[in-house]
Parts: sequence; structure tokens; C-alpha cells
Amino acid sequence: PADTRDAAQARVRSAPAPVTDVARLCVCDLLVAQCDVNCCCDPDCSAEDFSLFTTCSVPLVIGDSQLCSQKAAVYSLDVEANPPERIFKLIDQVNPSIFCIHATNYKEALYLKSPEIPTPENFDELLEKFGGATFSTEPDSWNLDTDAQNPSEANETSRYEYGVPVQTEEAFLRLPSPVVSCWCSDANPAGFLVNQATKCIRSVSVEKCDSIQALSMLFYINSSILAVPKSSQMVNITVQSIVVQSLNGMRTLLSSSDVLRLPMVLDELCINAVLGVNYHITHTDTGEIIEAAAAFVLGAISKEALSIEQSFEISFTQENTQPVPLSGNPGYVVGLPVRAGFQPQGYPFPAAFLSNKHSQLTILHSTSTQDCLAAQGARAPVLFGYNMISGCKLRITAAMKCQPLAQTLLDVLKGQSFPEYVASFGNSQAQDVLDWVPITQLHISEQMISHTLQSPCQIPVSLEIEVKWTKYGSLVNPQARIMNVTATITTTTLKQLPSGRERIIPITSSVVFTDISSPAEPSYKAWPTINIKLPFDFFYPFV
Amino acid sequence: SSQLSSLPLQILLYINGIYYTFYFLATLAMIIYKSQVFSYPDDFLAPDLAMLFLMAILEVPRLYLGFKGNLTEAEAPLGLSLGLTVGSVVLCVYLLLWQTYVLWADVLLNAVLLSAYGLESGLKVMAIAAFVS
Repeated sequence: PADTRDAAQARVRSAPAPVTDVARLCVCDLLVAQCDVNCCCDPDCSAEDFSLFTTCSVPLVIGDSQLCSQKAAVYSLDVEANPPERIFKLIDQVNPSIFCIHATNYKEALYLKSPEIPTPENFDELLEKFGGATFSTEPDSWNLDTDAQNPSEANETSRYEYGVPVQTEEAFLRLPSPVVSCWCSDANPAGFLVNQATKCIRSVSVEKCDSIQALSMLFYINSSILAVPKSSQMVNITVQSIVVQSLNGMRTLLSSSDVLRLPMVLDELCINAVLGVNYHITHTDTGEIIEAAAAFVLGAISKEALSIEQSFEISFTQENTQPVPLSGNPGYVVGLPVRAGFQPQGYPFPAAFLSNKHSQLTILHSTSTQDCLAAQGARAPVLFGYNMISGCKLRITAAMKCQPLAQTLLDVLKGQSFPEYVASFGNSQAQDVLDWVPITQLHISEQMISHTLQSPCQIPVSLEIEVKWTKYGSLVNPQARIMNVTATITTTTLKQLPSGRERIIPITSSVVFTDISSPAEPSYKAWPTINIKLPFDFFYPFV
Repeated sequence: SSQLSSLPLQILLYINGIYYTFYFLATLAMIIYKSQVFSYPDDFLAPDLAMLFLMAILEVPRLYLGFKGNLTEAEAPLGLSLGLTVGSVVLCVYLLLWQTYVLWADVLLNAVLLSAYGLESGLKVMAIAAFVS
């Protein structure tokens, strides 16, 4: 038994020897113990199988073709014979080039290296070389131990650079994000000037909710950020705002954000659990962090919930600047929101796009309940190039009065503040009046006006926004430019219902983007002309 | 006055000098080509280059001593040249058989050089015999 064990160990120590005999190699033999179709080198195929083939998928099996002379296995089908049969020839392939390899004294030149089999002796060395997350040809340069870094580097990195992890007193500023799966991993550092937004799922239980660190506000703000890497100057993370989200999704902004709210169990619910964190970091133009603020969304976890989704976001702003996100430079980029604004007192006044989403061009966002009157707040921004259609159902009872209903529906369709102007280019500035396109409002009445004396009440049933855009600029890099925006409201007469009956009317709103660019004509530069003029006195004696 | 210097040896030494320049440049170019096209790790490239340069360093005194010995009809420099030829032959055999990649062109160049060395050695021995006696 001892020597069989040793023999078994000896067998395990080396990997099986690679097959180099071309007569036994077959790359198309994929099915075990079955004949592969059109695979002439498959040993599982019999003569009857060969007679059904049409061609040989692998006609030649050869080693490295750069060798001067080598054995090659040639497979072909003889279609003249009846039944067709496979021909196998072992030939000597000669490379006629003068630079063909006559011999090599280096084994790995023509074959892949056999990997080392781990044994108790070389295990530690292999673990050191290959145990990390990355392999490198120079294993010593991947030393992540911060103590071993050169002291000369400390003087050079006196500021943060793009992508460098934001350091805190302990390690790095964490931005939990999903790694590989959708579960939150707390080891993702936030990179300087890298605006990120991540969503991940964390497993929770209501009983242990005050002991899970990642649900408490303290976890996200207790470590202070270093102003510059490897310095002693700290920046505390302040709480900018706290929004409390109830179980049905309604969010309320708390007036005082000084009090730290820690999760606790109340009535079989875990309240004050962190559902989202939004970091805002202010930095100088020399790469130094001067301010850090975090806005929290706290929510309640019910007893049945086994996991919650947390969302995290980080954004960097340079001090004394007000960044305005552009929707293209200069032409609109498909997928970015259409910029809109108002014109009070003669100047277009773009609404603050960052936080005031209600002044953007928005359309109704369909909800799961499909009730127009219940979901009045849900709106979706209009993204350039994306045609959208949404709607809801309106239940009309006999008791409803027309005028207030018409006004409510107009609010539902258009939103709280429907803009008046739309930016023509993605980067139109507020000062350039001519770069803004007014929204034309049309009103179509669905039914003919009847001949009765009293004017029937009209309620709006659909809003269609048509955005006409054109390609502007050069032929190879056309920029999208909005030329015309028309908002058409279609109204219909509300017929009076007999009492007790009710009617359901569909309300729709849509956005359509139409390309009105005329086909481009390529224009070529004028052919160069040869401009030769003889000198004035060329024919001197005669003229 | 009879001339003891061997004319065939002189011609051969002269041609050897020209051929060796061509051989050195061609082999160096082929090593560069091999290092780009094939997998040629540094610890295999270094010995090959070292042998080639060593051979070039040996060739210069070898040819000089051969010329001097033959023209002055002295057997000492010719004998020294013969000794250096043995070293050159060993290096040539290395480049022919034990290089990391031996291309067909390598085989041709080295075979020609080896035959030239062999012929030269024979002629040198005959010349030494003529000078001594």
C-alpha cells in the first residue's frame, strides 16, 4: 500500500504529457464516443459515416508551420468513389523559406508551457506568485503594503488626481457597490473626480437591525476624509439633509438634519435604516478636498423583508462653481434630457437642472395603478431622441364637475411648470437668446362644435409633443439641433353622465422626435488650377 | 629564391575576412528577427549574442596573425592563429547546433564558415611544415 500511494502521488505530481503526434490529434472531435459531422479525423467515425460527409472541416493537422520539415496529417474525401471514402495521408510538409526553423534548443518555443503542479514543497511559492487578484510578470512590483512605498513618492502626491481613491483616516472612503453579484460589497473605494451612482442589495433582518453597521448613518460619516493623500488635515463629513421614506414610498424632507438618527426596532419595523447616501465633495482646483457632505434617505424595513436595495451616489464639485450638466456639445446627444426654461422679463432663465426636476421638459410617467388622479406627481424627463408614450385612465363619475376636471387633467398632462422655451443646442447658454426655441402650443378639439347655444365643456385627453430636429454642421460629424417644438393638446367634449354611471377615458401623452434634416450634399473643394502667367515683357523685342 | 608563403592560404584568409563580415551582420540580423518573431526570453538570447560577439572578437587577431605569419614566413604567429581557429570552430559549432533557434539560413552560413575554417587549418598546417623544414 505504501508504494502504490507513492506511485499515485508521483503520477499526480506531473501534468499529463501533451499529445504531439499529428496522426492522433483532432480538433473537430468534440463529441465523446460519437461521430462528429464532417470531421474526417474523428476516430469514432466508421466508413458508413464517412460516406455521408460532404467536406472535411479540418483538412490538415500540422504542428508549427514555421518548421523546415515536419509531419502533417492530410484528410480528404474522395467524392469520386462510390460510396465516398475518407483518405488519410501522413506526409512530410516542407517549408521552402530560407528562414524556416531547422532545429530549436528551447522546448517552449513551439509548445505551451506546462503549468507547475502544486506540491507541499512549492505550494507557498506558488501561492505568493498566483494567490492575489492579479498576476504579474514582476511579482515584486505589486506590493500593496503602504508602508513599503518609497518616501520620495509622498512628496510628489500632495494632491488628489483623477481616479485616486479618496483616503480617510482608516482606509478609503467606501461607496458600497455590487461586485460580481448584486450584493453590496463595502470594499469599493470612491475615486477622486469619478462621479458614480451604484445600487446594490443588502441582506437584513428586523431583529438585528440595530447591530447591522451598514444600516446606520454613523457607518457612512464617522471617518473623516484626508484633504490631501497622506496628510494629517482632516475634513469631516457633514450631514446635508435627511429624507425619510415611508413604507408606501412617500418621501419627506426633515427640517433639522443635525440629529443623528440611528436604526431601532419599533412596532415590528426597523426605522431609520439607511436606504441611500448621496455624497457631495467640494474640491479646489489643485486637487485638495475642502468639504464633504452626505445626504441620507432613511426608511423603514418591515418584518418580512429579507433584503433591501441601497443606492449610493458620489459627485464632485469644484469650489465656487455651479456645474450645469450639458446635454451635448454642441449638438444634443441621444439619451440626454432636453433642456428647457422660462423667459421672465425678456431673458431665457434656465431652471436649475440639478435639483429642480419639475422645470425640465417632462411627460407623464405611467404608474402601476394607471389612475390619473392618484399619481399626479410622477413625471419622466424627455430624453432627446427617445420617442415616448405614456398614459393613464380617468374614471369619470356623474358627480364630477367639468371645469375643475379640465384643469386637473391639464396639470396631469403638462406638469406643474411646463416650460416655454427649449434649448436649440445641447450646450446653449442662458444669455444667448437666439439659441432657444419657443414651444408652440396648439389646441385641437376632437369633436365638431355642435349647434347648441351653450358651449360644451372640453377636457383635454391627450398631449403630443413633437420635436423637430435637424442635423447641423459637417457631413462626417453632424450635430443634432432642435428647430421646432410643438405641444398639441387634444380636447374632447365631456358628455353629462346619468347619475350612478361612470365612464373610463384613456389619457395619453407622447413625445415624438422627427428628423427634418434635408439630405446632405457632399461638396468638394474646387480643383486646383494651375495659374501660370507669362511675365509682362516676355515677348519684349516684338511686342 | 623560392617563396615559402602559401598563396592559396593568403587568398583564403582574404576571402575569409570578407565573408566573416557578411556572416556576422547576417547572423546578428537573424537573431534580431528571431527575437521579434519567436518567443525568445532574455536568458536564452544573452548566451547566443555573447557567443557571436566572442567569435567576432576572436576573428580579428586570428586573421591578423594568419596574414602576418604567412607573409613573414614565421611559424609562431601562424601557430597562434591555428590555436585561435580551434576556438572559432567551437563557437561556430555552437551557433550551428546549440543556438536557441537554428534557421535554415543559419545552417548554410555556419556550414560554409566551418568548411572555410577546415580548409584554412589544413593549409596553415602545410605552411607551418614548409616554414619549419
